[in-house]
Amino acid sequence: MSRAIEMNDINIPGTQSIPSIRADYAAGLLRMAGDSYPENSFELFGPVIEWVEHYLEAETRPLHLDLALLYLNTSSIRAMMDIFDLLQAAHDNGRPVSVLWRYDRRNERVRELAEEFAEDCSFPFEISPTAIDHERS
Amino acid sequence: MNGPRRELDADVERALADPAQQDNPLRPLLAELWDAYRSHVQRMDRVTRLSDQFQAIARGEHLSHSQQFEKQLRQLAKITRISDRYQAMLHELNLALSHASTHDVLTGLANRRLISERLREESERCDRHGNRYCIALIDIDRFKQVNDVHGHDVGDRVLIGVARALESALREYDLCGRWGGEEFLVLLPDTKLDHALAAAERIRDAVHALHFDDLDPPLQLSVSVGIGEYHPGEGADACLKRADHALLEAKREGRDRALVG
Repeated sequence: MSRAIEMNDINIPGTQSIPSIRADYAAGLLRMAGDSYPENSFELFGPVIEWVEHYLEAETRPLHLDLALLYLNTSSIRAMMDIFDLLQAAHDNGRPVSVLWRYDRRNERVRELAEEFAEDCSFPFEISPTAIDHERS
Repeated sequence: MNGPRRELDADVERALADPAQQDNPLRPLLAELWDAYRSHVQRMDRVTRLSDQFQAIARGEHLSHSQQFEKQLRQLAKITRISDRYQAMLHELNLALSHASTHDVLTGLANRRLISERLREESERCDRHGNRYCIALIDIDRFKQVNDVHGHDVGDRVLIGVARALESALREYDLCGRWGGEEFLVLLPDTKLDHALAAAERIRDAVHALHFDDLDPPLQLSVSVGIGEYHPGEGADACLKRADHALLEAKREGRDRALVG
């Protein structure tokens, strides 16, 4: 059994307090959109961090993150930083990784916050004012 | 090894090799002592090397710990910074929402929700202290006609103009709000009827002074005002009812006037 089959895709529909999270192993794509103030952020982001870790370890293909996150509580910020750290380490080892953080142009605050995240990352980290589909269920 | 010791070593080795000393009775003793000394030095060297290695490992660990610590400290500082900014964003959003939920979008005046709340508070305050307040209900005369003749965008301009005229005619602590449609409500705290009437006249003058020069036919605005004075203990609705009644009376008597209910 190949690891790609072992490794399930993640598909969490967003709610008012958790973002929609879609991890597509075959496409090497992780999407997250919406607000994030979960009751238990470890429970929510643990599998996501694991998924990223595993993908980066098992594959040599590129990994792309497509984000349209709005409000993040402190533990969600921490989880995002952990994910970006994984990407940075992979990038340092020559792996192609990239992030696109989309924000509503009416909310410049979100752009500023994305910039804070991008500050320590040397891999491609694009922050773009684009149309956002919040993918809420 | 240092100089004097190396010299001593050489002297001893020379003495042991010297044929003239072969029969020296102390030579076997010196030879034994020499061997013991040599192995002792070797052991010392080994212990020193090992000790150095352990120290290097410990130092390395200390460095990596302090590096990790530094890294986590930086991370914590960053999380805190980002978290603070998110909270600031939420706070601003709350303020904006709170303003949006209590103010009229078109005129920027207090909306009915805020007016009702302030009326309730002011009534309770008056009930406790026996103070009085007055309410003035203000209705734009023949507003429907403005909309019919000039269109709704002009109607909106008129509403905004009247809102500014009301504000200009009032004191800072009076509350002025849009009660609905073309009707406004003014809450005059700590005010008796005669002063409320004077305020109503100031309002009527300010509205008369409004000009909309670009309109054809020209627009001459007026308002009708109904005033009610609050009696402690009666509740805001009773006072509102009197003001409403006075407003109806003012309309019935031909508009463009202020009456007390």
